[in-house]
Amino acid sequence: MKIFSIIMILFLIGSSIAVSIMRNLLGAVIVFMTYSLVMAILWQQLNAPDLAITEAAIGAGVTTILFVLTLRKIRGVKK
Amino acid sequence: MNHMILQVVSKIMIPFIQVFGIYVVLFGHLSPGGGFAGGTILGVSLIFYRMVYGKAETRLKFPFELMMKMMCGALILYGVLKGYSFLTGGNHSYLPQLPLGTPGNILSGGYLLPLNVLVGITVTVTIYFLFTLFYEGEI
Repeated sequence: MKIFSIIMILFLIGSSIAVSIMRNLLGAVIVFMTYSLVMAILWQQLNAPDLAITEAAIGAGVTTILFVLTLRKIRGVKK
Repeated sequence: MNHMILQVVSKIMIPFIQVFGIYVVLFGHLSPGGGFAGGTILGVSLIFYRMVYGKAETRLKFPFELMMKMMCGALILYGVLKGYSFLTGGNHSYLPQLPLGTPGNILSGGYLLPLNVLVGITVTVTIYFLFTLFYEGEI
């Protein structure tokens, strides 16, 4: 389990750096969703399944929907 | 959106999502979860329904008045219950309290189960309203 956690943490760091340097807004939102999903798995590894459920529902679900709707409203999605 | 595939798949998926959300809310004092997490899952199921079936059909099933009444009633009841629990909790005023029940049963934990249900209702309606305000600007 330790190797799995280390791989997940490395992926987490990589995706958070990718979000901050990415130019494409829609791609940044999708990478942010994967960041949140990996964070949910890590919460489960840290024996906090309560937080894992909340993170998977809020971070990966609702926040992504709201970000995409905001992008559509400000026309940040390039066709 | 009038997509045939989306409508058929959502007709199968939405009941399962709602049953899972209700399970998370009702078993919040025994297992992981609680009012906020379960309420979010229920709210996401309502968002899914709204995205697939559109504004008119959702308004027939979940009208604004009903949702607002549910949320305000839940908030007021939460305040009354929690305030009663605070005021009579530790000051030796032997007023009647909710029974504790047997540990491990679903009807146990005193105030936790009703408070979880009330928080779940509030979070469900709030998440749904947030989404509709972002989506079309009106509920």
